[in-house]
Amino acid sequence: MGLGKAVRSWFQVKGRSAEHISFGLRRLAGIVLALYLVIHMVDISTLLLGREYYQALLNLFSSPVGLVFDIILWILLVAHGSLGLYSAIVEAGFLVDRRKELLVAAWAVVALFSLVGAVVIIHVMG
Amino acid sequence: MKVRLIVRRWKQGWTRPRYDVFDVEADPEESVLDLIERVSLSTDRTLVFEHACHHGACGACGMIINGVERLACVTKVGEAARKGLLLVEPLRGFEVISDLAVDKSRMFSKYPAETQTLEPVAASLEKLYDCVECGVCYSACPIANTYGEYLGPSVLALAYHRALSDGVVPGSVAGSGGVWACHAAFDCSEKCPVGFKPGEKIMKLRRLLLGGRVKVS
Repeated sequence: MGLGKAVRSWFQVKGRSAEHISFGLRRLAGIVLALYLVIHMVDISTLLLGREYYQALLNLFSSPVGLVFDIILWILLVAHGSLGLYSAIVEAGFLVDRRKELLVAAWAVVALFSLVGAVVIIHVMG
Repeated sequence: MKVRLIVRRWKQGWTRPRYDVFDVEADPEESVLDLIERVSLSTDRTLVFEHACHHGACGACGMIINGVERLACVTKVGEAARKGLLLVEPLRGFEVISDLAVDKSRMFSKYPAETQTLEPVAASLEKLYDCVECGVCYSACPIANTYGEYLGPSVLALAYHRALSDGVVPGSVAGSGGVWACHAAFDCSEKCPVGFKPGEKIMKLRRLLLGGRVKVS
C-alpha cells in the first residue's frame, strides 16, 4: 500500500475518533521532531565552518521567527511525549476502559506545558 | 426531504472513479440502504451494492456514509444527511469489486488459520461473540488501511475470546501483523455497529500476552 494512502489514512480527521486524531498528531509530531533533529545536526555542524557562520544561525533562531519556530517545536515535543505516554499505558492494556479520561488528561498536560514553555521561551530568549 | 445522493462509482477497467449525483425525495426516517435501493431500481440498474437482511444482522451493507463507516440498513437518511447531501463510498481497506461492493476476503480468509475458530462449531461461536463481520472496523482502522499484513480488528478480537477460553493463541496473532501492529486509534470500536469493541479486546489480549497468561502456539 502506498505512502500517500497511509498518510491520508493516518491524518484523516473527518468522522474519526479523538483517539485516532491524537494518534495522527502524535505521528506528525514525531516526524517533524525527527526532521528537526536532522536540521539541528546540520546547524551544529556549521561550527566546523567557523564561529561567524554558527553565530549567524544563532541570530536567526533568536529572531521573532525563530522564537515562533521554537514554540512550535516545544508544543510538538510536549504533544509527542504526553500522547506517547497515554499511548504506552493504553497499548499495554492498562486503563483501556478509562482511556477517554486518560486522553483528556494527556491533552490537558499538552496545553499546560505548552503554555508554560511558550512563556519561558518568550521571556528567556525574547 | 430533498436529498442529493452522491455515489462513488468504479467498475473494472475504469482508470479512475467518478461521482454520480441523484436528486431524490426521501423520508428522513427511511434507511440509507432503502434510498440507494430505490435509486438503483428506479434510476440506475447498474449501481452495485451489497445487502441482505435490512436490519443490521448480516453486515453486508457496510459503507462510508458522509465520511463515516456505517451499516446503511440501520442508518436513517435524516440523521446522516448534511444539508441535504449524502455521500456514499465503499469501505476502505478492501479491494473494490464494483461501486459500493468490496471484496472482504482479506478479512474472511483470516478466520480459519488465525483464530482457529472455523472448526465445526465455529460459526456459532462467531455469532455468540456478536461480530457481524461487516468489515467496518477494517475500513475505520488506520493500520488495516495501510498495512496489508495486519490481521485486522475483528480477527484479533475473536482471538482474544479464544485466548480466554483456551489460554492459547496462534503465533501469527502474537506476531508483527497481530496485536502488536495495532496503534490504539480505537476507531474500530467507535464505528462498530454492534459494539463488539475490537480495540479494547486487542489491548486486553496484549496484556494477557505481556503477563504470560496466554501461551503462543
